[in-house]
Amino acid sequence: MRVPINITVNGEEYHLEVKPNRVLLDVLRDDLGLTGTKKGCGLGKCGACTILMDGRPVHSCLLLAAHADRRQITTIEGIAAEEPHPLQAAFVAKGAVQCGFCTPGMINAAKALLDANPDPDEAEIKSAIAGNLCRCTGYNQIVSAIQSCTLSKSDLQAAERGESNE
Amino acid sequence: MRIRSFDYWAAPSLEEALIELDLCRADAKVIAGGTDLVLNMKKKNIQPRRVISLHNLDELDFVKPDDSGVRIGALTKHADLAADPFLKQHLPILCQAVGLIGSWQIRNVGTIGGNICNASPAADSAPPLLVLDAQLILASKTAEKKISLDSFFTGPGATTLESDQILKEIVIELPKQPAAGCYLKLRRRKAVDVSLVGVAFQAETGSDGKTLAKVGIALGGVAPIPVRAPEAEAILVGLTLDEAVTKISDCAKIAVKAASPIDDVRATASYRRTIINVFIHRCAQNVLNTLKNGGGN
Repeated sequence: MRVPINITVNGEEYHLEVKPNRVLLDVLRDDLGLTGTKKGCGLGKCGACTILMDGRPVHSCLLLAAHADRRQITTIEGIAAEEPHPLQAAFVAKGAVQCGFCTPGMINAAKALLDANPDPDEAEIKSAIAGNLCRCTGYNQIVSAIQSCTLSKSDLQAAERGESNE
Repeated sequence: MRIRSFDYWAAPSLEEALIELDLCRADAKVIAGGTDLVLNMKKKNIQPRRVISLHNLDELDFVKPDDSGVRIGALTKHADLAADPFLKQHLPILCQAVGLIGSWQIRNVGTIGGNICNASPAADSAPPLLVLDAQLILASKTAEKKISLDSFFTGPGATTLESDQILKEIVIELPKQPAAGCYLKLRRRKAVDVSLVGVAFQAETGSDGKTLAKVGIALGGVAPIPVRAPEAEAILVGLTLDEAVTKISDCAKIAVKAASPIDDVRATASYRRTIINVFIHRCAQNVLNTLKNGGGN
C-alpha cells in the first residue's frame, strides 16, 4: 500500500507516493537525496534528524512521512540560498562544529528559536537545544554561536528604522 | 529499525474515524502525533495491521474556555498547551507539566490525548490533570461518555478505553477561589528523558483566601498508573495557610505511602520514595507561599 502525499520541501513542491511505514527522515534522505538531515538514534532522543515543519522543529525520525502531507518542510539545505545563514556563519566562527553530525539539527532548532524569539536569554537558548545532543563541543561554543545571532530590542528598532528610511 | 508494514488511513473527520474504528476494532491502532506509537512500532513493541490517523482532525485541536471551565481538544499539541495564554493564566500547573514533556521537537508533534491514551505511568500530563479533577469525553460511533480521569488508567499502557472509542476532549473546571499549583519532575537529562518521579500539587483556598478548601496531590512514575494521594491531601484540607506549612512533613510522609515504586535501570524504589518526599516539600512550600502572597489564580 502507498499513500499519496503533497509536501513542500525547501520551497519545492513534491507529489510522492510513500509506504505508510516510512518515516519522513528516510524519505528526505533516500528519495529526495537531502542527506543534510542526519540519522542518529532513530528514536527521538538525539535530535540529529531535527527539521522544521511549518517552522517548528520536529524529529523527522519519529514522523510518519504520511503525516507530513500538506506541510512545509525546511531542512538544512533550505536554510540559506547562496551565502551561509548567519547562524551557519556563527557556528563556523565560534568553533561550534567539530564532527558536524549534530549541526544541521542544532541550526534548525536555533533558527526556530530565533524566528519566534529574536532575543532569547541563555536559559531559553539552552532549553531550545535541550533535545539536541552534541558529543564533541560541550555546548558552550554552540550556545555562544546562537547568542551572537540574537537581536536585542534596540537592534530590532534600529533595523525597523533602517527599513522605514528606505 | 524498520517498521513492519501496515495499512494506513487518514480520517477526514472524527465521525468517519469512529465509523471506521467500529469496523476494525482491535485490529486498528489510532495514531495522533505518533511520538510514542512510531517509537514503539520501530522497537516492535506494537505491530498494528492497520493504523487510523487522526492527524488531519483540526476539529480536535483547540483550547476553549466555557462557562465553568475549559475544554481541551485531544489533538492539541503539548507546545501549544504550554504556551496557551488562557491556560497559563488559569491552570499554570498544566502548562508547566506539558512544557516538560520530551523535548521541543516532541512537544511540537505529541498531543495531550496521545499522552493520556498511551497511559505511561510516568506521563507528565497525568498528575496535573488528576489534581485538576479532569474529565474525559470518550466518543464512539454510537455514544459519547464522560468519565473521570481518575478511573481511566488501569495499568502501564492500559486504560478503560474501549476498542471503538476515541478520546475527544479533556474537560477541566476552573478553580472558583484563589488557587495555585506546582509540578516537579525528576529526570536524568534536561530533556527527552521520561520522569523518574513527577509530583503535582494543587491547592485552592476557601472564599476567605486563608484556609485550604481543596488540596490535590498526584504522583507519576512511582506506581503502575499515575496515582492520587487522598490521605495526604486530607491532612492539609481545612487548615489555614500558616497551619498547613507546619504539616507539610506529615503530608509528604503520607504521600509517599500512596506510591509503590519499583527498582529499575533508571532509579531505585527507595530513591524514588525519597524524591517524592522532597518534591512534596518543595511543591507545597511554593504553592502555600504563592497563596499567602495573594499570587494565586
